[in-house]
Amino acid sequence: MGRRKKIVQECERLMDEPENIRNIAIAAHVDHGKTTLSDNLLAGAGMISDETAGEQLAMDTEEDEQERGITIDAANVSMTHEYEDTNHLINLIDTPGHVDFGGDVTRAMRAVDGALVVVDAVEGAMPQTETVLRQALREGVKPTLFINKVDRLISELQEGPEEMQERLLSVIHDVNELIRGMTQDMDDVDDWTVSVEGGTVGFGSALYKWGVSMPSMQRTGMDFAEIMELERSDKRQELHEKTPLSDVVLDMVCEHFPNPVDAQPRRIPRIWRGDAESDLADQMRLVDESGEVVFMVTDISMDPHAGEIASGRVFSGSLEKGQDLYVSGTAGKNRVQSVGIYMGGEREEVDEVPAGNIAAVTGLRDAIAGSTVSETEMTPFESIEHISEPVITKSVEAQTMDDLPKLIETLRQVSKEDPTIQITINEDTGEHLISGQGELHLEVITQRIEKNQGIPVNTGEPIVVYREQSQEPSAEIEGISPNRHNRFYVSIEPMTDELVETIKMGEASMDMPEQERREALQEAGMDKDDSQEVEHIHGTNILIDDTKGIQHLNETMELVIEGFEDALDNGPLANEPVQGTLIRLHDARLHEDTIHRGPAQVIPATRNALHKALIDGTIKMLEPMQDVRIDVPNDHMGAASGEIQGRRGRVDDMYQEGDLMVVEGIAPVGEMIGFASDIRSATEGRASWNTENAGFEVMSDSLQRDKIMEIRERKGMKLELPPSIDYI
Amino acid sequence: MLTFIGLGLYDERSITVEGQRALREADRAYAEFYTSKLIGASVPDLEDVHGIEIEVRDRAGVEQHPEDVLEAAENEDVAFLTAGDTMISTTHVDLRLRAHERGIETRVIHGVTAQTATSSLTGLQNYRFGKATTLPFPYAHGADGLPASVTDTIDDNRADGLHTVVYLDIKVGYDPTSSQTANRPEDTVGYDRADGDQYMTADVGAALLAEEYPELVGVVVARAGSPDPLVDAATMTELAERSFGDPLHLLVIPGECHLLEADALVELAGVDREALDIV
Repeated sequence: MGRRKKIVQECERLMDEPENIRNIAIAAHVDHGKTTLSDNLLAGAGMISDETAGEQLAMDTEEDEQERGITIDAANVSMTHEYEDTNHLINLIDTPGHVDFGGDVTRAMRAVDGALVVVDAVEGAMPQTETVLRQALREGVKPTLFINKVDRLISELQEGPEEMQERLLSVIHDVNELIRGMTQDMDDVDDWTVSVEGGTVGFGSALYKWGVSMPSMQRTGMDFAEIMELERSDKRQELHEKTPLSDVVLDMVCEHFPNPVDAQPRRIPRIWRGDAESDLADQMRLVDESGEVVFMVTDISMDPHAGEIASGRVFSGSLEKGQDLYVSGTAGKNRVQSVGIYMGGEREEVDEVPAGNIAAVTGLRDAIAGSTVSETEMTPFESIEHISEPVITKSVEAQTMDDLPKLIETLRQVSKEDPTIQITINEDTGEHLISGQGELHLEVITQRIEKNQGIPVNTGEPIVVYREQSQEPSAEIEGISPNRHNRFYVSIEPMTDELVETIKMGEASMDMPEQERREALQEAGMDKDDSQEVEHIHGTNILIDDTKGIQHLNETMELVIEGFEDALDNGPLANEPVQGTLIRLHDARLHEDTIHRGPAQVIPATRNALHKALIDGTIKMLEPMQDVRIDVPNDHMGAASGEIQGRRGRVDDMYQEGDLMVVEGIAPVGEMIGFASDIRSATEGRASWNTENAGFEVMSDSLQRDKIMEIRERKGMKLELPPSIDYI
Repeated sequence: MLTFIGLGLYDERSITVEGQRALREADRAYAEFYTSKLIGASVPDLEDVHGIEIEVRDRAGVEQHPEDVLEAAENEDVAFLTAGDTMISTTHVDLRLRAHERGIETRVIHGVTAQTATSSLTGLQNYRFGKATTLPFPYAHGADGLPASVTDTIDDNRADGLHTVVYLDIKVGYDPTSSQTANRPEDTVGYDRADGDQYMTADVGAALLAEEYPELVGVVVARAGSPDPLVDAATMTELAERSFGDPLHLLVIPGECHLLEADALVELAGVDREALDIV
């Protein structure tokens, strides 16, 4: 029997013992060494050869990942590890660190109970470290810390013991500050800060495959001085053999991360709003492998042979081939064609995957990343796609018409795999739009279409996604249907940032029970009466039904909403989405007969009324902003800050960190296009930089008109605004 | 002058003599057929018979942009035509009021409508009808199943012992901008004509109503005003299984029947007397 086969068998055996399972993710800022660390763990578990760990990047399975040297999709792998004489099953997900792929990280966190946060010893905690920590903690996932690239402190920077200790402690301190800040309002976790003494911090070098922690030093009897000595004298192989990284980290994983039986009772209330008293809730809390099947899909990938593979976490029951399961948000059932686990980028089919594990399933053709899949119909899990909104769009068209159907199919596939990508398919013009988190995000997607699917495409220039928002409350506006028999009375008011944030985070949505939604909205400052009359939420906009007892309104409401949604998706200034608006329907007059208050009457009436109200409330254009951080040697600092200021940006802070200067600022996304090559040439390639989306800001008055006209021209709209827009 | 002329029920001969005279004297004629249509005559037929060119306006051309109709009426004699009567069901009172705002003189020349034909053909007395309602295609209205306005109307009328006219949905032509067209399923049952017009037939209407009222008696009136009108009655479940030929169709739900009404339904519609609620 091959070694691999043995591992699969051992994994299968361990799957039934939830106490010995750990579901973990490795997350970090880009380039801090997650994937190299994952390879170490695989080698330690005997899944790839020891020699190639660190070079093989087994987790980066896509060709473009190995080329770019970064992880793009979250990748799964299962392995076994013996700790304190008990064999453990470790299901590991490696996640991307680049900010454009944040959606993958959020989804991965849903599947796991522990997050190993990797931080580069030289760079320290970076913006993306903060983001991944937040994503983990929001999901109730417990963190531990691994400080990587310690070899560079010793060999490259020639730091002495005190200097080094100070630096490591400051990294730990920074990470703990973040954890403390993010967990202080969570009543369901105690102290989740990490410490060397507690064994929740490890150090080492993923590249040279050695690592230490307090427990490992006690076990091996090696102290720091000895380690520094070996590293400095280039005896890294010896160091690796004496204190291998994989043992240190996997021990830490087994010791400090909760198993599913410990984790699920805490996590289920956090991620599921169904009836806590039900049998199903019990089965999920107890990780009951003979309970009803509940499976949350966190990732969809394509296999050239098997087709679509849905991977995710089994919270209750056991997944088996042939089961007919409900997929949330779709009608009917899907039949499971195969179930399996991941072994280093490859799937191994097994007979069943019980609760508490991460499974790979084929046959769930209706599932998308985020679907709840279950044996009986149930309240779906909380939505996991609420952290980022797309800010950039690019058009894609097939070079030859013959490829058109295949391209459409591929685009649909892409948006299934990564719900942070939005696809607008235009079958008439053949020009489709893909919207995502940043330039790189879209570039990778289009490359995959060309390479993996072999469809040559033309892409347009990246286009920034704008927003429209009213700046003040409007008067009550009358909307009249074309036949003048139906009237709607509408006003709008801008919502508070707190309320917008609550909706964006999915803390209040139409999917949740009414009582909970009311409470969440009230907590965010909404008036009690209003919170009871919420009729609809669209994007970050809320519709309040203030009408009383109007006959037939309930059966017309769907059309009213359709009209409002249309008005919100295509704002009055430049057909960009409207955000943060509270709409009040005060009154309505309806025709007696359905036919005379059909879609052709109601939709234009409500759409026009809402546009008029938005204009009356002084609607303006908002543009997406990005926080920018540049690390650069002192003599290039001027050039670096100039790159921010020259892009209508603002430099907020400049400070020294180690031998580098850090420039922090904010700039519009639209101006940041092409930043990568500009900053490179401005600083002779000496700068490293990082951006993070920072929401939308109202554009200055002097830019409003030009921007609106530019967008209208691009969209082929009339180049004049309605006369009522006299303030721009 | 703006003259509203009802074209009547079926073909070019359904117009009244007075309507015909007014139409022939007009300088210009507009028509709308988006909510109903003459099944027995095309627009060119009408133009030939009456010797006048007729400009057909779509919904937007009547409701949103009636300016040129009104402008013409300021200086000339303009006729505005619809099937049935111009002020019944799809009322054009709005257009008349707009004309008055501009100081344009108006008059109305009546046409025969389904409303009167229904009483005439069934023998049900016009005094004993309650509110009418329209049964829309399921894809075309914003609620699930039967809209409450339909069931409320029927239930209220029945509670008062009154008859209910249930008009059956008509979708004329394809309007690519309409979300109704977009929502229309490929295989919608009903009566589909090659030009894209869609008429709900009485069997389809009865099938929808049978979900709520399987045992209730319904009276079908088909092709009123044509040379071969048809009246038939049975329970909704039974009607759903029958076919009634070419459009247009409508349904009546009788309330309490006067003796003579009952006699008429038995004789003219072949209903089982036992099934009626006779006072």
